[in-house]
Amino acid sequence: MRLCGLFVSNGSKRVRKMKITHTQHFKVFSEPLLKSNPVFFQMLGICSALAVTVQLKTAIVMGLSLTFVLAFSNLIISLLRNVIPRNIRMIVELSVIATLVILADEVLRAFLYDISKQLSVFVGLIITNCIVMGRAETFALGNPPGLSFLDGLGNGAGYGSVLVAVAFIRELLGSGKLFGFSVIPQSFYNAGYEDMGFMLLAPAAFIIIGLLVWLQKSIIKE
Amino acid sequence: MSDQLRSLLFAAATCLVCAISLTAASTGLKGFQQKNIAMDRQKNILKSVGLIDENAGYTHEEINKLYADNIKCIWVDSKGSIIKKGQKAQKELPVYIYMKNDRIESYILPIDSRGLWGRILGYLALKNDGSTIVGFTVYKHSETPGLGGEIEKRWFRKNFEGKKVVSRAGKFLSISITKGGVKDTVPKDMQANYVDGISGATLTGKYLAAGLKDILLEYEPVSLKFRTKKLLRLTAGRKSCPVRKEK
Repeated sequence: MRLCGLFVSNGSKRVRKMKITHTQHFKVFSEPLLKSNPVFFQMLGICSALAVTVQLKTAIVMGLSLTFVLAFSNLIISLLRNVIPRNIRMIVELSVIATLVILADEVLRAFLYDISKQLSVFVGLIITNCIVMGRAETFALGNPPGLSFLDGLGNGAGYGSVLVAVAFIRELLGSGKLFGFSVIPQSFYNAGYEDMGFMLLAPAAFIIIGLLVWLQKSIIKE
Repeated sequence: MSDQLRSLLFAAATCLVCAISLTAASTGLKGFQQKNIAMDRQKNILKSVGLIDENAGYTHEEINKLYADNIKCIWVDSKGSIIKKGQKAQKELPVYIYMKNDRIESYILPIDSRGLWGRILGYLALKNDGSTIVGFTVYKHSETPGLGGEIEKRWFRKNFEGKKVVSRAGKFLSISITKGGVKDTVPKDMQANYVDGISGATLTGKYLAAGLKDILLEYEPVSLKFRTKKLLRLTAGRKSCPVRKEK
């Protein structure tokens, strides 16, 4: 197949490429990135998006933690979907999610102690993040493990990218830094530039998320 | 097999698997976590006397070295005398000492106070005049993030710097947390004994102030020695103490 690919014309190459982007797997992964983004479209997980987006570093760690929990909870629940007794399915889902969250928390505490202190309760609160339970209920229970895993990755990445975007704006405008390094030159401050203290407060995150939703909706319309 | 029995069995199996994996993770990572916690304490002690920059990152080795170079730990008895090696006193209180050019620059008291939801653990550093606060840090608490949790934030801790634990006449007063801003709520001659409160966390402030008072009172004999210039150097052969054990 690969050898053949070398000799096919440009036209048929485009066809193959389109096929990849049209596979179900690709769709499942890519749709939650923008089109059905869990934060923008489903309006889930806003609480933590406000809390941990003052700095880029915490936002990225939070995004990764949630992606880990979401992907594996989807995978495990999907593997078990035919054996879980219907009457206790929510409890089982919750115990799987809770176990994964505590695992993530323990790992952070062992290897990224300072960040885990800054994230404080918010890692633990992934358990109550509606995205995780929502994907388990609506997707993992009805789809095979591979797809569910991808759905988890996609939704986690969608959530994480929103966190990173919000944190980028807040850290840059709020404290003039990115990843803790000052990026706004001292000459700006000397010329009278001031950091926006408001960006460090939760309402600023609300406004930024609102603006990003607006942006996302107008992109999708086109 | 009946449905109910199946559900029960499934639930039991889930519990077992979850419990085993959590226990494995917890025991496997305990060593790393405890090392981090010990390092965090040392970092907080250094932070309370302003030896490290809060925004910069430090490796474990750097922290260890800074700590070993600058901080000594001693035990004092209830009268404020240093306990010597091999001696025992009825009540032994640990004090961390920041040494600069062989002289005591400041001394650091471990804080263990009641909070609204749990204990507040941290350090309070006082200058060698026995009355001026150099710094205050919190390394463990269970207060609500965004409300009482603000006690660990820089803006709140910074309020303590330069405040006094004695009145202008030199009488012990402790340090209190007011409701609102110090400038608006406290008479001028008392402002040095108050720090700004946290809105939405009146009770945390109340408990923390009470806890600080108890601890300062407990250590008052030591502070008195500093105030009367009786303690300036460390004697050799004192009983050594480790960074505080986990309570």
